[in-house]
Amino acid sequence: MNESMTNGNDEKPATRRRSSFLWFSLALLGISLCVLRVAVASQDGAAASAEAARTLWQSIGIWVAAFMTLGIFSFLYKDNPFYKVCESVLIGVSAAYWMVSAFWSTLVPQLFAKLSPTLVKSYAMPSLTPSETPGLDFALALVPLALGGMLLWRLAPKGQWISVWPIAMVIGVTAGLRLISAVESDFLAQISATMRPLIALETTTDAAGVATRSFDFWGTVGGFVGVIGVLSVLSYFLFSIEHKGVVGKSARLGIWFLMITFGGAFGLTVMGRITLLAQRFEFLFKDWLGIG
Amino acid sequence: MTNPQHIGGIRGFFARLGGIDRRWIFLAMGLSIAIPILLKLRFPEYPGPMAKATFDAVEKVPEGSTVLLSFDYDPASAAELQPMASALVHHCASRKLKIVFMALWPLGKQQADRTIDTVLKPFHPEYREGIDYAQLGFQAGNEGVIKVMATNLPKQYPNDADGKAIGDIPLLKDTKDLGAFKLVASISAGYPGAKEWVQYGNGAMPDAFEVVSGSTGVQVGQLLPYYPKQMEGLLVAVKGAAEYEMLVEAKYPAADPEVIGQGRVRMGPQLVAHLLMIALIVLGNIAMIAGRPRGGAR
Amino acid sequence: MLQRTIPIAILCLSGAIMVGAYFISSAQSWGETVTTWFNILAAVAFVLGAGNLIAMNLEKISSQRPGWGYAAITLVSFAFMLVVGLLKLGAVPNDKHPDIHLAGSYDTPASPFGWMYEYVMSPLTATMFALLAFYVASAAFRAFRAKNTESILLLGTAFIVLLAQTAAGMFLTGWIPEDSAFAFLRLDKIKAGIIEHVQTAGMRAIMIGIALGIAAMSLRLILGIDRSYLSKN
Repeated sequence: MNESMTNGNDEKPATRRRSSFLWFSLALLGISLCVLRVAVASQDGAAASAEAARTLWQSIGIWVAAFMTLGIFSFLYKDNPFYKVCESVLIGVSAAYWMVSAFWSTLVPQLFAKLSPTLVKSYAMPSLTPSETPGLDFALALVPLALGGMLLWRLAPKGQWISVWPIAMVIGVTAGLRLISAVESDFLAQISATMRPLIALETTTDAAGVATRSFDFWGTVGGFVGVIGVLSVLSYFLFSIEHKGVVGKSARLGIWFLMITFGGAFGLTVMGRITLLAQRFEFLFKDWLGIG
Repeated sequence: MTNPQHIGGIRGFFARLGGIDRRWIFLAMGLSIAIPILLKLRFPEYPGPMAKATFDAVEKVPEGSTVLLSFDYDPASAAELQPMASALVHHCASRKLKIVFMALWPLGKQQADRTIDTVLKPFHPEYREGIDYAQLGFQAGNEGVIKVMATNLPKQYPNDADGKAIGDIPLLKDTKDLGAFKLVASISAGYPGAKEWVQYGNGAMPDAFEVVSGSTGVQVGQLLPYYPKQMEGLLVAVKGAAEYEMLVEAKYPAADPEVIGQGRVRMGPQLVAHLLMIALIVLGNIAMIAGRPRGGAR
Repeated sequence: MLQRTIPIAILCLSGAIMVGAYFISSAQSWGETVTTWFNILAAVAFVLGAGNLIAMNLEKISSQRPGWGYAAITLVSFAFMLVVGLLKLGAVPNDKHPDIHLAGSYDTPASPFGWMYEYVMSPLTATMFALLAFYVASAAFRAFRAKNTESILLLGTAFIVLLAQTAAGMFLTGWIPEDSAFAFLRLDKIKAGIIEHVQTAGMRAIMIGIALGIAAMSLRLILGIDRSYLSKN
């Protein structure tokens, strides 16, 4: 293999032999899967008719998707050219997808349609409604046009400071937006959500429609746990006071709350990752191999 | 640490287990998911309070009202979130709600298109584009998109995903801002997503509409503090999807279980894989203990 | 002046407009306009990212660094996707305006761009993240050690959530009647308690801390106290 497809590592003969064996095994596995796929399609009437119903491009697409999936999975054994090709393709198509998507969904209707409505209406957006204030729209669109050009100047070899202007604007808007939302939704609203009656009461309605309120033990426990949890974790984050005495004990309790929080988060994360893998296997078995 | 090769018996076996090639673990994980899929293992689900709250939030929306569904995810999270999206669209359409689709993620638009093609069109053929539903598509800007929509929706979306002017779409022609929607549902995999809908949507108009969300297991922790005050309902990972599917199917059973049932299908491998995870953690700890020198320092 | 004063002024002004638009209703349209500019710049950032990708990979190819072949593959796939997307090659014609090529739909699976998304990008992205299931398992085996109280709490909670999220939870403790005095021992109840009370409390405290940090940082930026964004230039 030439240097274009390596990372510059020299392989020893023993490693190369092992590598050849690996690739032979993987190729054998791949061929076996293909044979299985064809065998299933030819024996299973339903699968065969489904295959016929698919267009040629859909069938090619499923095969391509299957090989891409296996290519990424091959990394589990070790890093290899098959995986690297898939990775490179992913980077290329993703960058292009985002750029094309941003171009047609945002730049054309929000920017170019205001700068040159006639051109955009004639060639890209025939349903474009004429603006009531085209002059003002044009003038206002010049600002993001200029700032956008300055942002792209970052790619130029010289004068990169020019891109600081649009970056300053992006930071300014983000700071302005987040200042309000952080205080409102993540600070005040959270304090408000913590400040709830510690003694919980349960309302039950009997058959006659009479509502009675009773003491809710677990609701009360939950209320206490919530308040104590928030305060103790906050005390752990309070680094301007030495963690000694009452603050130290509270901070220690806060760490325990955080550990339970992270334990719960770990459980949910595992579930998420397994689901992703299950979906890929479903694709390989059902859509590609036609089994399961 | 003692060399595991020098320890004999069962203790030695466990001590050597600590140095096992990780590819055996990969193989075990692969099999724990592949076999239940091939065996089509399925287990009953019991809807929890969060799934019920999400279901009730949709049920509370008056018939004929408009809801906004924001597809804030990509194929990397579709395994967890697509089942929620499919069930949610089927639920909304079964309740005769007008649906507006949009996306804060570039690839979310494709996910919304897929949901329209696989759920809305086949199960609710009476739904007409532009009258009963509309696809606004993706707009760049993250929380900025929500911020502008909150006060001036046509400014952010002058046209739908197909380039049709918003004034020419019957469903949206009188829509001024987010206040036109009775419910905003964000199927969210991260930033921007449900958190931003609470901060910039619900924050701007706290009394105008309810927010519900379906979220990945990874992100859901960030959303828990918003439930139930700022977020009426929350679907937690694929289990939340499976529970919600159960509730929707029980009341609106017309759907194809292959489509409105993906969440429950994916719960099958979870059991075996979770048990494997627990076994791996236990074995890892036994290996650590076995590898320690007897009576020595750690 | 051009490199320091004006960027600081732009930041302060744009930040102040966003804050002002929240409190002063007559300034709301200013806020909308500035946010629209921000959104357009976010779209331009995608172009910038793509430009950066081209520059990096071209440099790798021209200097023939190890692995330059992969850089070429990246560029070819990028160029193909870009051309079919921007020029809407093979796009499904618009129903009402079939004569206007660029009005067509470029991202349905029937078009080359949509096909690439459906059968190349989508499986690659999904599988890349699916790999994490294997690495989580490996990490759990090697790194999850019950060494002290904190790690035992973490592990114990993880076990409960892992069991309760599946049918195992109901199998092990589902026989305890829901209305009995011992219902709190059911794994689903314990998990609900952990998520709704303990985890929520922990995340809420973290959120409050982050919110304070964001508010302080935003104020420092808008007031021109923090100028670290200028340092690279």
